[in-house]
Amino acid sequence: MDQPRTDEDQELVKRTQSGDASAFDQLVIKYTPRLYGLVYNMTSNHEDTNDLLQDIFSKAYKAIRGFRGKSSFYTWIHSIAVNMSLNFLKKRGRRFQLSLDDVDASIQNDKEFMEATATSSPVREADLSELQRRLNEAMMKLSDEHRAVVTMFHIQGMPHAEISKILRVSEGTVRSRLFYANRQLQNYLDEFRKNPVS
Amino acid sequence: MDEFNDNEIARLLRLKRFEQPPPGYFENFLHEFHRRQRDELLRQPLWRICLERAHDFMFRLDVRSLASYPAAVAAVLVCAAVISLKIYQQPEPAQIALQSPPTLSLPVNDEGEWTLASPVATRIFRTQPLRSFDESAQTHRAPAPPRYVLDSVPVSYEPTFRF
Repeated sequence: MDQPRTDEDQELVKRTQSGDASAFDQLVIKYTPRLYGLVYNMTSNHEDTNDLLQDIFSKAYKAIRGFRGKSSFYTWIHSIAVNMSLNFLKKRGRRFQLSLDDVDASIQNDKEFMEATATSSPVREADLSELQRRLNEAMMKLSDEHRAVVTMFHIQGMPHAEISKILRVSEGTVRSRLFYANRQLQNYLDEFRKNPVS
Repeated sequence: MDEFNDNEIARLLRLKRFEQPPPGYFENFLHEFHRRQRDELLRQPLWRICLERAHDFMFRLDVRSLASYPAAVAAVLVCAAVISLKIYQQPEPAQIALQSPPTLSLPVNDEGEWTLASPVATRIFRTQPLRSFDESAQTHRAPAPPRYVLDSVPVSYEPTFRF
């Protein structure tokens, strides 16, 4: 995913800081889909994602006067989103259970999704809905920090450098977490391939 | 392919991009955000709302930049006051010469008649008269002999003390 133009964001941020609430509305409209994907893939729940996203933008609106532009707005808002999601997941703990409601049925009608899954041999053997559920399960078995890295890198398509800025860790740490998370996901999905009914 | 390699994992995870919220969610998100903001505002105590409004007002005014204007005005006023004081404190010899009472009518010689006057007065008096005779004649109605004064103190041959 391409990063949005930072100069445009800076202008909107300045206008928001000078009291123009409509400028912040434009930032909300611009970043909602992107942040939705990030938060949803960390929580695997639409309702939680909606509540969290509202809280994220509310917090950003309150804190935007303190935003001095040392990083881009893109990095700043993603940092808020990731930190709030991680805090939420810690509070929620392991009580969370994936339900079938969390599986998005509409995805199976998506043309691009069908094409993507048709080229993958392990995927071809599995039911798409079941595969989606397994993917979510595999993701939820990762630690919160590893899931955040996997979400940003594989799903959101962010580069390592950007992820390191958002998480405020080194690029080496990002790569290390990614490597470990990939190994874990491989194990989970291999198990599913060998025992599809389990 | 029997195992999921890194590429397969990446491909599978990219599929999760297609997971989207219900239709119309993004369109309604902003309205929901505004509604929550209003609700949150109503739940806040009055003093906090006032404080935030005041903070917003001050932030919008940019107090730091505005503070330079009073400082500049104060500096200008101080400079003006100092300059005006200096101007009014300067002596005006010509006016003093005109307004002072006449005390001297004769030219002075360099001998010892000036012994009773102050040394400063004597020294100034000896160097140069404040106004020439011709000038005095032009400015005064009646022709009068030149008068030499210093600091409104009449210069005279009389002693400054009495016995």
